Amino acid sequence: MKRGQVILALAGLVISLLLPLVVHGDYHLQVLFRIYLFAALGLAWNLVGGYTGQLSLGHAAYFGAGAYGLALFTRAGVPIGIALVLLVGLALGFALLIGGASFRLRGPYFTLCTIAFAEVLHATAKNLPNLTGGDVGIQVPALFHDHVHRSFYFCAVLLTAAALAATAIITRSRFGYYLMAIREDQDTALSVGVHTARTKLKALLISAGFTALGGALYGSLFLFIVPDQVLSIDISNEIAIVAMLGGAGTLFGPLVGAVVLETASELFKNVFQEAHLLIYGLLLIVVVLFLPEGIVGGAGSLFRRQKGMKGQRGGR
Amino acid sequence: MDLFTALQAVINGVLTGALYALVGMGMALIFGVMRIVNFAHGTFMMLGMYAAYVLFTRTGLNPYFGFPLVGLGMFALGYVIYQGLLRPIHGQSDFMQILLTLGIGLALTDTVQLVFGADYHQINFPLLGKIYHLGGRINVSAPWLVSFGIAVAACGGLYFVVMHTMVGRAARAIAQNRAAAPLMGIHLHRVQAFWFGLGVATAAVAGSLLLPVFYLYPDVGGQFTLKAFVMVVLGGMESIVGAAMAGLLLGVVESLTSLYWGNEWALAVDFVIFLLVLSLRPSGIFGRQRS
Repeated sequence: MKRGQVILALAGLVISLLLPLVVHGDYHLQVLFRIYLFAALGLAWNLVGGYTGQLSLGHAAYFGAGAYGLALFTRAGVPIGIALVLLVGLALGFALLIGGASFRLRGPYFTLCTIAFAEVLHATAKNLPNLTGGDVGIQVPALFHDHVHRSFYFCAVLLTAAALAATAIITRSRFGYYLMAIREDQDTALSVGVHTARTKLKALLISAGFTALGGALYGSLFLFIVPDQVLSIDISNEIAIVAMLGGAGTLFGPLVGAVVLETASELFKNVFQEAHLLIYGLLLIVVVLFLPEGIVGGAGSLFRRQKGMKGQRGGR
Repeated sequence: MDLFTALQAVINGVLTGALYALVGMGMALIFGVMRIVNFAHGTFMMLGMYAAYVLFTRTGLNPYFGFPLVGLGMFALGYVIYQGLLRPIHGQSDFMQILLTLGIGLALTDTVQLVFGADYHQINFPLLGKIYHLGGRINVSAPWLVSFGIAVAACGGLYFVVMHTMVGRAARAIAQNRAAAPLMGIHLHRVQAFWFGLGVATAAVAGSLLLPVFYLYPDVGGQFTLKAFVMVVLGGMESIVGAAMAGLLLGVVESLTSLYWGNEWALAVDFVIFLLVLSLRPSGIFGRQRS
């Protein structure tokens, strides 16, 4: 992270924290909450999907583990603070299972495994009414009682800031270079001594932890969750689309992606109700065909090409 | 639960399994020839169902006679989608190909929902009520039997095309060595477009055959995309015979799951088998062990 980026991030954080002074009304704060929540989820996904190049379409598993974990652990009498630790542990356990089963394999296996695992959890949550409430749903305790939406908004901003800081630190560390080496060429990475399976698993664990916290936050805001809401493949897709749209493997990409996608989807929701999946689908097609580096990556390339004659190399 | 009940479940499973086999074979073809995991596969099956539905409600053409028309139309759609969307990202990582086909699937599913609405539909014609009794205790419904027959014939036809025609040989050559095949005079993109079209048409034909015995709604394809993955992995990733076998197996397993645990667990059991196979024997249960 260059000094300019640090200043930009800190300025963004201050502005984000001051925003509720200007923005009133639960609806607008909830839209802002959603933007920052998905920014944090996209950043978490980016560690696996962007920097390591492993396409996960099953992050709903960790998201749901967070939301359901909070509900189930507190119902069992665990204090909220400990429940938050336990639900992260639950998500890490899931990540270990998924990564352990699929990271030794190449190609699309990991993607298929992530989807399959998330769908098994989805079906389990639906079909065990005694434990999870089934399709009827389950109550989630409120994390905050005063100025409900404002506190949740602050939490989402802080989660985003933490995910952004983690990404910045990781990508400048040896571990981060291992991740990018795996993305660029797994065989070469292996041949120079990177333990690829273990490194990928570590990235997935970090990603799962952040995603679970996001899920807990989301569930607690709504106070009530059903399987189709927090464990469906739509959540996994949305997280991936946020990161891809903004720019997979770029620091600020998921943040930009979340702002663009959530704003657009909120605007379109009012125009045609059921078409947001059409918008997501078309966006994915456009990104893959014309903007494979996403908005941030594409803008970066353009910028570098303008300056390219001077032979200056831009960082990510 | 006596033996007859279990036997009945196995027979129902085999009847469903033949349709699964057709869906799985289409997916395995596309994966084998072009290394694309087609995330829109179930969507194409769903489009086939809607096409057959429209044919039936507008012209009265029964899906059992209308399916060649549906297949032909969907072949054209698949060919165009390959040439327009998949060809430009040819050679890129499977990451991008998965996202692209996922996008195509989402966009098409939502378009269908906007046009037809989210309601469930079902068609009705005289054959549907007919049930054959075998040995007093076993019942087989006529539409399932007809769908099964056509699906088996279609699987056989597909196998014949792959093994004994020029375009099938070209496809096998590409699957064997993508770099050498074009050097032997194989027009890579034309052959791949043909097989993508045929894979899509196969899914759509399975959809037409499913229409008389299943409910129709825009999201019906999603679960079939996932089942098709399971079949392809169980079958050993690129073997169409393996995928077909896996389809039959899945049909029977689902049917027995429904009988003993309830219908809602069927998909979960599919995935548990899938995860187990993936972690214990990644080359699939019907595939040969590869390095």
